[in-house]
Amino acid sequence: MLEIKPIFHALCRSKVGAILLLIQIAITTAIVSNAAFIIQDRVAFLNQETGYPEQDLFMFNVMTFGKDIDLSQQFELDEAMLRALPGVVNAAQSSSIPLSGSGSASSFNLKPAPQESKSIRSSYIFIDEHGLDTYGVKLIAGRNFTEDEVTITNSPTERTTNVTVVTQALLDELFPEGDGLGKTIYFGDLPLTIIGVADHMKSPWLKDSHPNNVALIPYIQGKTYAQFAVRTKHGQRAAVMKQIETAMLNNYNKRVINNINGLDQLKDEYVAADKLMMRMLIVLITILVLVTALGIFGLTLFNISKRTKQIGTRRALGARKSAIINYFLVENAMICCVGLLLGIIAALLLGQLLMQHFSIAALPPSYIAGTAIMVFVMSLLAVFGPAKRAANISPSIATRTI
Amino acid sequence: MLKMNNISKLYQTEMVQTHALRDFNLHVDEGEFIAVTGPSGSGKTTFLNIAGMLEPFSSGEYLLDGIDVGKLNDNQRADCRNQKIGFIFQGFNLIPDLNLYENIEVPLRYRGIKASERKRRIEQCLEQVGLASRAKHLPQQLSGGQQQRVAIARALAGEPRFLLADEPTGNLDSLMARQVMELLEQINRDGATIIMVTHDPELARRAPRNIQVVDGQLADFTLYQGAQNLKNVAGA
Amino acid sequence: MLLHYLDLSWRSFKRTPLVSMLMVLAIAIGIGVTMTSLSVYHMMSADPIPEKSSQLYAVQLQTMDEGHTWWTEDNLPMQLTYQDAVNLQNAPVPEKKVAMMRTGFSVYLDSDKVKPFTSNARMTTPNFFNMFNVSFIYGGEWSEQQEQSAAPVVVISKELNDKLFAGNNSIGQLIYLDDYSYEVVGVIADWSLNLKYYDLNNGAFNEPEELFLPFSLVKTKELTSWGNSNGWKHENINSYADRMQSEIVWIQFWAQLDNAEQKANYENYLNSYIQEQKKRGRFAREKPEYKLRDVNQWMQYNNVVSEDNKILVGLSFMFLAVCLANILGLLLAKFLRRAPEVGVRRALGASKRQVFLQHLVEVAMLGCFGGLVGIVLAQLGLWAVRQSYDYYSSIATMDITMLLSAPVIAITTCIVAGLYPAWLVCRTNPAIYLKSQ
Repeated sequence: MLEIKPIFHALCRSKVGAILLLIQIAITTAIVSNAAFIIQDRVAFLNQETGYPEQDLFMFNVMTFGKDIDLSQQFELDEAMLRALPGVVNAAQSSSIPLSGSGSASSFNLKPAPQESKSIRSSYIFIDEHGLDTYGVKLIAGRNFTEDEVTITNSPTERTTNVTVVTQALLDELFPEGDGLGKTIYFGDLPLTIIGVADHMKSPWLKDSHPNNVALIPYIQGKTYAQFAVRTKHGQRAAVMKQIETAMLNNYNKRVINNINGLDQLKDEYVAADKLMMRMLIVLITILVLVTALGIFGLTLFNISKRTKQIGTRRALGARKSAIINYFLVENAMICCVGLLLGIIAALLLGQLLMQHFSIAALPPSYIAGTAIMVFVMSLLAVFGPAKRAANISPSIATRTI
Repeated sequence: MLKMNNISKLYQTEMVQTHALRDFNLHVDEGEFIAVTGPSGSGKTTFLNIAGMLEPFSSGEYLLDGIDVGKLNDNQRADCRNQKIGFIFQGFNLIPDLNLYENIEVPLRYRGIKASERKRRIEQCLEQVGLASRAKHLPQQLSGGQQQRVAIARALAGEPRFLLADEPTGNLDSLMARQVMELLEQINRDGATIIMVTHDPELARRAPRNIQVVDGQLADFTLYQGAQNLKNVAGA
Repeated sequence: MLLHYLDLSWRSFKRTPLVSMLMVLAIAIGIGVTMTSLSVYHMMSADPIPEKSSQLYAVQLQTMDEGHTWWTEDNLPMQLTYQDAVNLQNAPVPEKKVAMMRTGFSVYLDSDKVKPFTSNARMTTPNFFNMFNVSFIYGGEWSEQQEQSAAPVVVISKELNDKLFAGNNSIGQLIYLDDYSYEVVGVIADWSLNLKYYDLNNGAFNEPEELFLPFSLVKTKELTSWGNSNGWKHENINSYADRMQSEIVWIQFWAQLDNAEQKANYENYLNSYIQEQKKRGRFAREKPEYKLRDVNQWMQYNNVVSEDNKILVGLSFMFLAVCLANILGLLLAKFLRRAPEVGVRRALGASKRQVFLQHLVEVAMLGCFGGLVGIVLAQLGLWAVRQSYDYYSSIATMDITMLLSAPVIAITTCIVAGLYPAWLVCRTNPAIYLKSQ
């Protein structure tokens, strides 16, 4: 037995409390639906598949100040030493490090520069034939480089490299017809034949416009500042990381070994701001929902204390306890519905505003719907306690004078 | 019709036990109009609350219309109040957020009566108490006497067998009190049984039967009436 | 009178402790959340060098051919080419200007006491220290002549001096950077810089560099940038000399322009510079384009305040609005229940205004408590931010402005919330309550 009409009339005659609740519900709905969407967006970003066994990979920097060696030959020795370390699966010098936020990118063209042609942005990594295995990425078509195809040099002008392995994403973008394997692309005016296709792997920048485009180029240049990637057997990374500095310095000591970091750590650093945003939003909406629930709870308690006599009278006139509980639930549901209606409009407006001023996609209606249901249930739960208390008011209150 | 046998009501706090009612016995027949008087704190209101099923009693037996009230659960008591009893309160107890029409409607809704039937009864009752033109008004827009008439209309709307009135004229001036009293007498003539608690002896005298509650027990009302008669003789 | 009102407020607080605590809690949570995001915003957007932020200008030149675009809002590259930087550095105007870039060295001493390590370095001209208000503990900047001759000299940070020389005066000492020795000519004082505004390329909240060396060493030592290098067209770069002549942008350039006249002069100069370069086949655009942005404009242009933070600040204020509605509801409940008492007061001669003021004072007191608790919550929030994101450790803090604004915002919010309930209660008709009691 729902008394919608008289409850509505009663509400209309004591508006302020209802309006306050309504505002809270509306703003809460607007904030929560938009924040939930941003959170979901960040969660998807943070949990995306990178293509790497992040827990088994680590990287380090080598800064060489000694001038008495052939750098590129030294790096060959270092690589051999690293590959022989117990617990290491494979290792390679790598000109950029994936997921780290620092690396190189260029446009890759169908014709040599400076001729105008189709041009696709992609990150690239100078690495030898161990690169794919080191990064734990599968070759899905074609072949890997051979040792002979790798240029090892100290001179920036040596241009004997002529092959590349690219990711499926880059290949598809360059050759949408699917006939890219074996074709030639140009890195500036340097022709590179695509001999192999790598499985999914992310570029150094997860937020790049083309985060899935990576080209591996068999070219090793001896530079004073170099980076190495090492893949270890599962669970042995920490042990290998601990001995890496000593091992490298034993090989040659006029250099600094630093930034020894797991790939997951590098990724964590790169995405830290997004993680922070996600956490802050989660905290924000949790507290917000609690505050709103508390507001509904408090206002209902107040309403009940104001209406003690009325409730007693209703009980005396034959209201069952359930009728009293229903009364408050219906009253709240009505306020809530109007609040949600406003909230949905506010959520859409806020979504529009965010989309206009920031790089945030349009708010999907499902988020608003989900939030509205959640807020509705939350408000009913918040009312239920006080309503049950109201139902326990003795009908004999009605005969008390004050 | 209404039978109370050895009803006791005990209020217990940590320190003391208070007997609000002690071995209270009362029989009321159909169609009676009874005035209950007694000094304040004597247990009048407790008696009324128990009679109206607003409060449980500690021991004894209470039969209303043949129903053993002590054996009813909370919902059954609520339904029983709704169907058999009409209440008139000293403070009127109209619901301030609802207009007159809606106020009278409250008990009818709890009984689950159809909207058209509700409308017929409410209009009839408002007519009876002379406030038909004010159906849309809020209680605070009316005088005390008018409010009490609305409260009576509300009590009548359910067509109860019993009317329980708690100091119905307590908050009214004498003119309005007389009007309300006349209304009650009319209702009694129409067939309802009325139990009215009052501290006003003049009002009590207008009721055909008077009982007095003293220290939670029924005082000898015949003696009391005898004394009244004597006084009347002396006065005449 | 105020004291009396405060006393009444305190009594009222104690009379309904639960409701009062709830209100304080509601304000405190609202303030805590708002101040957490606002503090980060404030520190991000705070002027890092207020005394001369309007005199320091980052210089941008449009070197790209017609039709090429950059990712900046006005399509201008953020940095300069090496040749433009050198040309502008050698220009007659203005008096103070600085070309610079970030690189790094492995650092060691001629002893085994310190294990070699790498350090960030800034290659810059001597005006750097004066222009960006950097002060010295020992020594000073290198001379103009040392700059011209690419002398092996270095200015080091206090931190590095502590590490290498135990904090002693190290002027004249030699340190090794990549296999060459450099003489220490200066040690700078701690530079508590929240924002690395002079080079925003690789994160605005990184620490300043620890080594400062003559810019002319870039050429002689063939140093590579540890910051961003960007090109916009294909160039065959086979040697370091090619790179220095290329259109790759990788040098930051700042000019100090003390007044509008100097700025106008410099703009004239840049115009004529572009015209002159045009004759040599560069700057192939119809209209010469350049831009001078002062420190605050530069920070805005570089979006130092992250999008996320702006969203958070916006949402926090909406959150505060919810708390405000919450408080308003509780205040209504509290004040209206007190209406009989107010009736007595009014009957005893209190004016409407007095009743109104009394209630506003009470509300302001709640706001003050809420603000104080809010500061504690905000500190907790900022601590959590710092824990969660190391990089924000210098900006996730409250400065004195924020500490003072917390109670101000709290009290203002509360008074806004309290206006209606206070007005309602001061309208109380004394007669109603006196009669029914």
